[in-house]
Amino acid sequence: FFPTKLTMDCCLPLNRYNLLVEFAVKHMDFQRSELESVLDLYGITLNSPNCEILQLPNASIERTRPFIILSFPYKEKGERYHLDEEATTIKKQESIALILSRCILVRSVIELWGVGSTLENCVSCSKQWKESSVGTEIFGKHSDVSKSWKLTIHTLGTTYTRQEQEEMRLNFKFFDFRGTVKMKEPSNEYIMIREVELNSLGSALYPRQDCNKKAIPENEARPPLGVYFGRILGQGRATKGRGDVERYSLKKRTYLGPTSMDAELSFIMSNLGQVEKGKYVMDPFVGTGSILLSCAIRGAYCIGTDIDIRVLRGRNERENIRSNFAQFGLPRPEIVRSDNALYNRHYRRSTVPLYDCIITDPPYGIRAGARRSGSKLENPKPVEEEWRHDHIAQTKPYAVADVMADLLDMAARTLVMTGRLVYIIPSFSTDFSIEDDLPQHPCLELTHCCYQPFTAELGRRVVTMKKINTYDETRQKEYVAAVWKNGTESAEKCANIREKILEAAKKKPRYEERLAIRKEKRKKTRDTKKLAKLKLNSEFSIEQTSCRVTSYPKGSLL
Amino acid sequence: MRLLTHNTLRNSSQKAKGEGFPLKITATEIRVEEAPVLTEDEQQLSFVKGILGMLDWSALVKAASEMGLENALPPMLTEDLVKDEDFLRALFHVLMNVHLVNGILTCPVTGREFPVMDGIPNMMLEEEECEAVRI
Repeated sequence: FFPTKLTMDCCLPLNRYNLLVEFAVKHMDFQRSELESVLDLYGITLNSPNCEILQLPNASIERTRPFIILSFPYKEKGERYHLDEEATTIKKQESIALILSRCILVRSVIELWGVGSTLENCVSCSKQWKESSVGTEIFGKHSDVSKSWKLTIHTLGTTYTRQEQEEMRLNFKFFDFRGTVKMKEPSNEYIMIREVELNSLGSALYPRQDCNKKAIPENEARPPLGVYFGRILGQGRATKGRGDVERYSLKKRTYLGPTSMDAELSFIMSNLGQVEKGKYVMDPFVGTGSILLSCAIRGAYCIGTDIDIRVLRGRNERENIRSNFAQFGLPRPEIVRSDNALYNRHYRRSTVPLYDCIITDPPYGIRAGARRSGSKLENPKPVEEEWRHDHIAQTKPYAVADVMADLLDMAARTLVMTGRLVYIIPSFSTDFSIEDDLPQHPCLELTHCCYQPFTAELGRRVVTMKKINTYDETRQKEYVAAVWKNGTESAEKCANIREKILEAAKKKPRYEERLAIRKEKRKKTRDTKKLAKLKLNSEFSIEQTSCRVTSYPKGSLL
Repeated sequence: MRLLTHNTLRNSSQKAKGEGFPLKITATEIRVEEAPVLTEDEQQLSFVKGILGMLDWSALVKAASEMGLENALPPMLTEDLVKDEDFLRALFHVLMNVHLVNGILTCPVTGREFPVMDGIPNMMLEEEECEAVRI
């Protein structure tokens, strides 16, 4: 992104409508991608004149900061569109706050009235804004005596005393709101944010006090990264998006499997895929249906396929994919048992664009093995007619490279134009090039690739692709051959992850030692259990020393 | 299994020579869900409009009659019908609310049967049916 430069005296373009978006401090790599996908769904292109990105104060600091400033046009007369709760936006009848609240990683949306690299700069900027034409109009609406208000001081990753906060508040007294101060559910909540450098856990990198509550003067004297002042839009800082995560959390589901996707990532994937009301979403590796659930919650109709009948049937009548959907009052998902490697065998005229989105987590053999129809033998013996109805066909291992190639080919055929494919691929953090090592297809354009780390070396990438060209059936073989740019070398990077993890673990120091300790522990637990079971089963009292309990013939005397 | 899904399923084995569509439905158990709730109306209409283009209409009419809805659908889809919102609502109901719970789908050319159990069609093939070359 190439943000617009700010002027020195006031850090805000005063003739535009500016918003500060605060992100949650997690899934850092996903934040911008999710925001861009959701804005695009509503006809707003991020980083265009209709939605500019402004530089944050102290932009030269090389850190990922949980903020972004968006700037929208604000026309004076005629069709004026202000983008707050009451008004409409460019494409659809949703306010910008509602649109942004759909993003799981957005913590709050703030109508920005002032910004600066220090508190003084922020105050002077706010004063200038208040005198500007846009500011006068907006301020006029909210300073009315009928609007109760409160001013929250949010100091990132640090705590300040009540008195210190009050001193900060006094700087903004010049606003002189005529309404009453109301702490609980005021009409308007204003906020001043003091941003500092954060560590990866979300606390201050340079804390004011050490662990013994003793002040650290050099940290105390550090200037902030930025100070922001504005009015909170929407439902405040616990916005709808994050509320959804709690409401639909895995903890509450009736049916779970070892590979069920957590609610947070499922919602993020549904945002990356631009799922909305009335769309048709497909998951070719549906498993327990956790990804489709998030899509259904957004109002889409879902179909999932899987090769494994056990996971599709569920555990019993009350615990299956359908019960998960029924639990939340959602329409039944369509489920078909089929093999994605043979998509073209089962589905008619497979180049008819059918799905708006394909969102999936393919099996890559770490926790769930990938299978496909067929026998390992070259010429398997056909099953006799009379045994057919009971016969359960064999499946054979399905190489990850082929899983991906088939997925891309199927998506290229069946997605509507500009429809999105979102999938997950495991990979290591280093030695991976987005241009070379991701699977490719001439009909699909890569739009986002977001990395979620698990350990220092291993993580997974959530890849988003968009259909840009019609599928040409005559070029099918050419498409499939070109999936892996560097041939087997690229394909290898996402294959056999399990073996690679084991190999890497073996190379670590003291591996043999720790293995021996684990084995010893296991043996001990087994022996304790055995002894306990023996005591329970026995009718006779046995001595503590180990002795073999022999059985005596009936009727004999002990 | 819904009629929308049935409209996309086929058996395109070599023996069937690409003619394995539509699959004949032999229904043993059907369930019809409640009429749509009004609050979801916009969602349903936009969905139906979106998929209208890819439906094979004659296959749909035939399948509907095999599911016990003999005269639910007109034999041809005309311009006027497409614009009529009530028709679209009725079409949504036929496509999405009528479920085949148990039954059999049969290929019209080879007679190969695909069972439907508990609403899930089973399209899995025997080992020798998977052509050796990856399609």
